[in-house]
Amino acid sequence: MRSPIAYRPRRTPLAQAGAFAASVYLTSLAVVAFVCSNPIVLAGAGLGVVVAGLAAKAGRALAASARWGFSLGVFIVLVNGLVAQRGDTVIVYGLWLPLLGHTDVSAEALAEGGVLALRILVVMMAFAVHAASVDPDRVLRMLRPLARRSALTATLIARLVPLAAADYVRLGEAAALRGPAAAPVGRAALARRLVAGSLDRAVDVAATLELRGYAHGPPRSARGGPRPRYVARFIVVGIAIGALAVGARIAGVGAYDSYPTVDVATSMPTLLLAAAVPVLAGLPFATATGGWRRRG
Amino acid sequence: MRPVLAAVATSTALACAAAVAACGFGAGPASTGTATLTVTRDYGSGTLLEARDENPPESETVIRFLDNEADITTRYGGGFVQSIDGISGTGTGGTSDWFFYVNGVESPVGSADVRVKGGDRIWWDYRNWTAATSVPKVVGSWPEPFAQSSVEAPKPVRVVCLGVHSACELTADRLVGAGVEARVEDAPVSGANPGSAMRLLVGPWTRVRTDTAVDELRDSPQRTGVFATFKGPTHSGWQLIGLDVSAHPARDFGSGGGLVAALGGADEPPTWIVTGSGGTAVRRAADALDIRSLRNRYAVAATRHGAVPLPIVQRGEGR
Repeated sequence: MRSPIAYRPRRTPLAQAGAFAASVYLTSLAVVAFVCSNPIVLAGAGLGVVVAGLAAKAGRALAASARWGFSLGVFIVLVNGLVAQRGDTVIVYGLWLPLLGHTDVSAEALAEGGVLALRILVVMMAFAVHAASVDPDRVLRMLRPLARRSALTATLIARLVPLAAADYVRLGEAAALRGPAAAPVGRAALARRLVAGSLDRAVDVAATLELRGYAHGPPRSARGGPRPRYVARFIVVGIAIGALAVGARIAGVGAYDSYPTVDVATSMPTLLLAAAVPVLAGLPFATATGGWRRRG
Repeated sequence: MRPVLAAVATSTALACAAAVAACGFGAGPASTGTATLTVTRDYGSGTLLEARDENPPESETVIRFLDNEADITTRYGGGFVQSIDGISGTGTGGTSDWFFYVNGVESPVGSADVRVKGGDRIWWDYRNWTAATSVPKVVGSWPEPFAQSSVEAPKPVRVVCLGVHSACELTADRLVGAGVEARVEDAPVSGANPGSAMRLLVGPWTRVRTDTAVDELRDSPQRTGVFATFKGPTHSGWQLIGLDVSAHPARDFGSGGGLVAALGGADEPPTWIVTGSGGTAVRRAADALDIRSLRNRYAVAATRHGAVPLPIVQRGEGR
């Protein structure tokens, strides 16, 4: 079964914008989550990611990452509530836990955990949309000038790990086909065969790469590919969102403090910042609507 | 139910029961009394903040008390205070940090793990620790640690008189005036402190120095945390030398200078010394046992002009 965040080619403006523009655009939404702590702004960033994900037809990836993010978020809230020993509004005092000893749970510590969880949720959703909408090969090609070996390693892993998983299933099926009277094959034996097969395959891949002249750079034909569209608008919007978040942080807009009591800025600039992120996130799709929908 | 599942369920239930056995909802019952908070820098030479907490609840900790009164940042998961009101510890490779004392005793655990009760005196000090990584006991919370205002079962307090009886009586009077029940003993120093009693050793330096804890005063402040030493004896007796924050001799108080200092390792009950070269110096030291002279001090040298804080901090020094 295909992973919900696995890449599938789609004819959406985000997919057509190319790896660089889509990465700038989606990373800017993650930047908002990293730079701002105000939950209102984080909610705005989350809404921006949802807008981008739905417009990029990556609803399954959004839903899956939201589920994972929510589960992780609940865990983070619980752990922060038990570990962080600050905050004025103590809900439970003197709770004794192994390793932690006596601990208090405060509303502020839970709120701080909630903000961390929201931040992680936004980042996970942004990168889930990225994974589902942007061709990973193009991302790796984009990174090749920066880290050639790492790009090659990542490319090979992206190919070989699914192959190894498929090999494991096939080996298991082959073992089962020997009949009920045959001695059962343990996992260790399967893993041993799998490792041996992977090593053989790795040698083959290395020989092929050498024969095809990988060290000489990509062939002329591989440098082309479909010409990306909507590049400028996604890059401009991405830079605008990132600059807005960083500028707001420097200007003190969207302040948030968990301790000693929760202090959430709800001023007009903060609300405008929170509203601006999803509006900006939807802008490149709105301006591209006419063309791509007719063609799609 | 499978035996394994039953065992897991039973263990979980027992763990939950143990976890909630001594806890409750809300901030917890309040203790009686007023806890005080003082924030200083450079060995108490500059006061940055003073605050009070009336009848603190069970859940009140040192970090919560501080957090309510000052703007702080933390490290290592929130248990270690990195900065207070913008004054930041210099961290790895640095030489200045925040230290805190509860009733004159340096805390061996983080500020999130120390509960505050009514009567406690919390003192945060930002200091250079090059010459003394740890100063386990200080005199700056007088009448603590002897008053033991927040302790349900106070330990006995002994004034060990090793000479100069008038100074011993004065010491006992000052303790009684501060609400401390103390008895004066004319006991010879036997080396170690028997039991868990808190002691004030009062007498001339020649007698006081024979105590095991006090003998270490001849070493650097790195071991004792006391920035003073006695030199001699000379023809006029023992000379009290005050050290600066780098543990270098900074001031010679002569044989007339008395010393009030707190000693004792992290796990030992406090031992204070009220001493000097001769009777006059010892009486001066005993006369310095009051809040005005000792407040926010690590130790003091008692001179005829009044108490001089130790270490000797020059302007701009200690950072």
